[in-house]
Amino acid sequence: MSMEVIQLGLLMDLPILAALLIAFVGKPKNAYKIALITSLITVLPMLGLLASFDWSHGDQYQFAWSLSWLPDLGLNLSIGVDSVAMLLIALSVLLGPIVVLASKRAIIENRKMYYAWLMVLQAAMVGVFASRDLLLFYIFFEFTLLPMFILIRVFGSTNRVAASMKFFLYTFTGSMMTLAGMVYVVYFVSTQTGVWTLDIATLTHHAGAMSLTEQTWVLAALLAGFAVKVPLFPFHTWLPLAHTEAPTAGSVILAGVLLKLGTYGIYRFAIPLAPNAFYEYAPAIAVLAIIGIIYAGLICWVQTDIKKLVAYSSVSHLGFCVLGLAALNVSGFSGSILYMLSHGLSTGGLFLMIGFMYERYHTRDMRQVAGLASKMPVWATFMVFFAMASVGLPGLNGFPSEVLCLISAFQSDAAWSAAGEPGAWGSTLGPWFAVFAGTGMVIAAMYLLYMVGKICFGPLVEPKDHGHHGDPIPKDLTAREITSLVPLTAGCLFFGLQPTILLDAIEKPVNATVNLVEHSVESMNASNEQTDFNIIAEGANP
Amino acid sequence: MIQLTPQLTTLLSTLTNPMVALSDPAAADPHAAATTAHAVGEVGHGPAWVLLIPFLPLLGFVLNAIYAAIGNKSKLPAWTTVGLLAVAFATTLSMFLSYDGSPYTVHAFDWIQVHFGDKSMIADFSFYVDKLTILWMLFVTGLATLIALYASEYMSNDIGTGYCRFFSAFGLFVFSMSCLVMGDNLLMLYLGWEGVGLCSYLLIGYFYKKPSAVAAAKKAFIVNRIGDLGLALGIYLTFVHFGTLEFAELFSNEKLMGYVADASVGNFSAIPGQAQWIALLLMIGAFGKSAQFPLYVWLPDAMEGPTPVSALIHAATMVTAGVYLIARMYPVFLVSEFALPTVAWIGTITAVLAATIGMAQFDIKRIMAYSTVSQLGYMFAGLGLLTTTGAAFHVLTHAFFKALLFLACGAVMHGFAGQLDLRKLSGVAWMKGWGIVGVTMLIGCMNLAGLPYITSGFYSKDMIIAEAFVTPGYSIIGWLLIVTAILTAYYTFRVYFRVFVGPQHAEPGNEHHDHDDHAHGEEHNHDAGQHGDHHSSGFHPHAPGWAVNVVLAVLAFASIAAISLAYIDKAEHHGWVGSMVHDSTAYFHSPYVEQAHHAAEGTAHAVDGPVGFKAPKAVFGMDAHTAMILITGIGGIFGVLVAAFFHGPKGWQGLFIGGRTEAAKCRMDAVARRFGPIPKMAENKWYVDEIYHAILVAPLRVFSHVLHWLDKLLVDGLVNLFGFLPRLFAWVIRPSQSGVLQGYAVNMAGGVVILLVVVIVVVLRAGGAA
Amino acid sequence: MIDSALVLAQQSFPAPLGDSMLAHYLFVSAAMFVIGLVGFVTRKNMIIMFLCTELMFQGAGLALIAFGRHHLGADGQTFVIFVLCVAAAEAAMALALVVLLFRHRETLSAEAWKELNG
Repeated sequence: MSMEVIQLGLLMDLPILAALLIAFVGKPKNAYKIALITSLITVLPMLGLLASFDWSHGDQYQFAWSLSWLPDLGLNLSIGVDSVAMLLIALSVLLGPIVVLASKRAIIENRKMYYAWLMVLQAAMVGVFASRDLLLFYIFFEFTLLPMFILIRVFGSTNRVAASMKFFLYTFTGSMMTLAGMVYVVYFVSTQTGVWTLDIATLTHHAGAMSLTEQTWVLAALLAGFAVKVPLFPFHTWLPLAHTEAPTAGSVILAGVLLKLGTYGIYRFAIPLAPNAFYEYAPAIAVLAIIGIIYAGLICWVQTDIKKLVAYSSVSHLGFCVLGLAALNVSGFSGSILYMLSHGLSTGGLFLMIGFMYERYHTRDMRQVAGLASKMPVWATFMVFFAMASVGLPGLNGFPSEVLCLISAFQSDAAWSAAGEPGAWGSTLGPWFAVFAGTGMVIAAMYLLYMVGKICFGPLVEPKDHGHHGDPIPKDLTAREITSLVPLTAGCLFFGLQPTILLDAIEKPVNATVNLVEHSVESMNASNEQTDFNIIAEGANP
Repeated sequence: MIQLTPQLTTLLSTLTNPMVALSDPAAADPHAAATTAHAVGEVGHGPAWVLLIPFLPLLGFVLNAIYAAIGNKSKLPAWTTVGLLAVAFATTLSMFLSYDGSPYTVHAFDWIQVHFGDKSMIADFSFYVDKLTILWMLFVTGLATLIALYASEYMSNDIGTGYCRFFSAFGLFVFSMSCLVMGDNLLMLYLGWEGVGLCSYLLIGYFYKKPSAVAAAKKAFIVNRIGDLGLALGIYLTFVHFGTLEFAELFSNEKLMGYVADASVGNFSAIPGQAQWIALLLMIGAFGKSAQFPLYVWLPDAMEGPTPVSALIHAATMVTAGVYLIARMYPVFLVSEFALPTVAWIGTITAVLAATIGMAQFDIKRIMAYSTVSQLGYMFAGLGLLTTTGAAFHVLTHAFFKALLFLACGAVMHGFAGQLDLRKLSGVAWMKGWGIVGVTMLIGCMNLAGLPYITSGFYSKDMIIAEAFVTPGYSIIGWLLIVTAILTAYYTFRVYFRVFVGPQHAEPGNEHHDHDDHAHGEEHNHDAGQHGDHHSSGFHPHAPGWAVNVVLAVLAFASIAAISLAYIDKAEHHGWVGSMVHDSTAYFHSPYVEQAHHAAEGTAHAVDGPVGFKAPKAVFGMDAHTAMILITGIGGIFGVLVAAFFHGPKGWQGLFIGGRTEAAKCRMDAVARRFGPIPKMAENKWYVDEIYHAILVAPLRVFSHVLHWLDKLLVDGLVNLFGFLPRLFAWVIRPSQSGVLQGYAVNMAGGVVILLVVVIVVVLRAGGAA
Repeated sequence: MIDSALVLAQQSFPAPLGDSMLAHYLFVSAAMFVIGLVGFVTRKNMIIMFLCTELMFQGAGLALIAFGRHHLGADGQTFVIFVLCVAAAEAAMALALVVLLFRHRETLSAEAWKELNG
């Protein structure tokens, strides 16, 4: 076991240890400190991993390690990361200290329980991305649900019971079908190779041999879980509820990482395991994504609950992410992965801002709180910044990914992307997809400026009874709160100004995935042509 | 003025196609050159100090943000900004003087790079410098410096956080504008484009407690975003079709060169539709940013911002970004069959429409706003009529005189407590301390009205109108533009005759105590003696200080001095601007056009070489320019006289034909009544805002509400229904759990019996079958 | 081990249980079970109900032993020993529970605990 593997293990073990410490040893007043220190310490091995990762071979699993766990099931404790997973792990780990910092004032009761589960969630998120074993992935994938469920159920606001139940049942029902699809793939591959294996790389390698019908069913099963998680229209209704009711930290993690499990799942499993079916149904998936972009965006525009607005904006934004995946080309995948990494920064930032406001005024209703720029200029400045990042202003995080996702829609139409031009290989989407998805840009400006215009600008409105909830309200953001925002701000700028570093890092795996799809589609087309030729030869098809 | 290096002079005099020859001096045969060569030549790397131009204003942004954070309460932000911008302007000047004729790029850092096998999409943070860039940057940085100086005084009521915030956004604006103009690829242009939009949003909404300002800012951003969508799609399509985003590569792209060659002989059917779509999409972006019909509605509302912002962003620089975009991408527009005619017509329609609205407004800043829209229409008409030179020249002169007009109006607004109604002000020029404002305003008005020979606005406008008459099939545009010129002269001097001359009268506006800081209670820093007691005794106007006067004087001088530009290089390129444009992509011509152009050169010089070139028409038996000098000159003077008659005061101040004796009443009132509802409709902007609201905004809002309910009831309802089904089933079978143990036992026994029966039946059947 | 035990069993009971004998055993077992069941269903006294369950147990146990002897297997007897153990443990627990329940309601009727919905 090499040094790096130990570091990778530490990313999961440290939070678990901290959770045990908080739950069984520590006192409630120490819970926050233990969680903060642990989440900060966890950053160190993560930085070590980033440094020792061989980015020039980003498509290969690195820091790989395997331990047989349940050999009868073929289940191994097998971990390792490629560059996409590595970056997502880095994001999850970096969000840790931020959400802990942001929770200090928001969580006053049951602190032991809160921070312990937060730490468990932290470990589970790393586990999802670090798994090289299908069942292990699935176990972690489901295991993220439990801490999140508890965070919403115990620490949420008024409607938390319904929100947590819907969140849990909806996503869990979907992912049961995902499990069925995965089991079928494992079974299929075992009939092909004679070996019962859960190794993702092996499965990916052989799954393309399934017939189109089989692939379609597998795709449907996989998407049942992942589309709910993303969430893709029309499977999104749990998200606004969960986001609205969750505590701030929960919303940030939900937006930052948990939603990405859906798109990551599509990228890592749905596409490689059912490439031909995905190619076949990509336009339909893209249409759902675009409906989501426009539909959720317009719904944002008429919200009065500011947190619900931001929650729906996530649905809208993630539409771009799925659109990029449906384009099935390099720019689409790159843009989509970039979106997975960057979306959580701006939306997470917005959730933090709303959380800070909520701590002061105990309302999220924009009819009761408005014009806060004159009362809290620093808060308003950050709010405008994150809103602009969310709008997709160039130079900030949303822009490069949005550009790539929209370009990919053009490129994936062979007629428009003339042969020989970069990125052209097949036809799934086309210019109209880009045009309709592009209206999302305008709609995003509409609802975000509507939000900023109400909550930050205009005459000051404050709820009448605020300030009677215990501690006195500080005027503006405190140093602790600003500290939790600075990394997100820096991240937004970094993603906006230096996306090339990330694009280079994910270039290899993205190209590998595109090649895999291209290869499967071409080989299936070749065999179809063979069939067509036979039919013509028989005179059945004039 | 312009130090031409010997090589450049030879180049300029011998070139048929400047870009072809830059790369390949042996390209004697223009046909061969067009199809083979790198049109922009080998674009070298420029000196790194060019980076100072965008990054100094950015430094200003950062410094001002720091000042705001540490709570600076002095004029330091203004002086920092003015200083940095002055250095940026000096750097631009040295960039201009050291420019040796070949475009170059300066690389700051890598931005977005995606690799597709052996190809890639590259959009770096780099800057592309050619003469078009230099032309734009000269007036952007120059005017920004001057207007920052003006603002140092104008914004002084807000010293403190507001002051820092203002100059912070100001610096960010200049940075964004530099990126827009100097960016070496389309995504950099887009970055600047959105960046100026952001700054415009922040600065229009500067008085953020005023709901109308917030609404105007939002409207500006969103309407611009609609245009930006077109621009973005155009950019993506450019990349998808031509495989590059970088100007240097794009304008040497063989495909594009081929299309241009096709377009020059009118063979548009040989050009694929995708390529033709690019220009149409980019055009939408230009319409949004440059406030053209139907996306002009944000600009008049943008006057909610502080006046320096209106002058810099909404008159001189940002709104010309659309013109710049089309000029920069001119080759792409040339290959689109319908793009340039559309641009010409939209420009003309906008010019006429905005002028008619401008005539009926009473708010002097709004009149200036509509005149900006109208003048931008001229520039677009110029672009559409293939005179990029005319358009660029008009951009330049307009930048000077419109900034001047806005700043003069701003001085009035500042001095009279926010009063902008021309019915409530009169004889301002005669008040103590207002002389410079009066004189410079007159110069600005003369330029906007286009009085012949003595104003630079006349030369630039004339160039565009003349082009309309020599371009076959476009004389109707020419006539419309002439009518607009007369209307322009009328409404411009209407302002002058009402506000600046005549009997002295001033009613203060409603922003007495908290002028320009509507609710910044704690930042309020007014001299109580100056504005106090306005209710009881007299109101004391607040005469402009030295900074305002100096800036006004400089701009007035510049707008007169710009006449000289029309005479530099006149024979060769129709003026200095022509020579600047000629040496850039905006003057990208296929050899065919050039040949035709040269063949015709002897007969008329007003022709830049239209596609499908024909010999220029004579207008009224004269050379087009001479005719236009006569017609527009007479038209302009006629407009001024009409304004003098209807609005001018009695006596010499009203050119002896005016008859106004008090501020609020004039001869026009009676005339207006005769027109019935029409003046009222024009005053209400032909209800365009209301129509947009009724047919676009309101239905969309309703639709959104419908979606919201649909989401709650149908989409979420279905989910809840699925959740409800198990519950329903449970409800059905719940009574069976009675709690009576015997009941359970009976049920169980009954179940066993049923099972037994089933098993027996099955066994028997199986036995029977066997 | 099991084989040798089986051999031992066969030596001491050289003949397996005949079919008619088995039928007699099963009849008794079924009768015990049905009596237990009917008693369980009809009586309300918890102790009687408990006795009836014991009766059903023993009925089933008898059937198991009979079959075990019929097939000459040790499985049936093994099961019965388990069943007896469970029944003994159950008796201890159940009677204690019944006493506790009685203390609460001063009655032994099962109806008194209906609302437990057990």
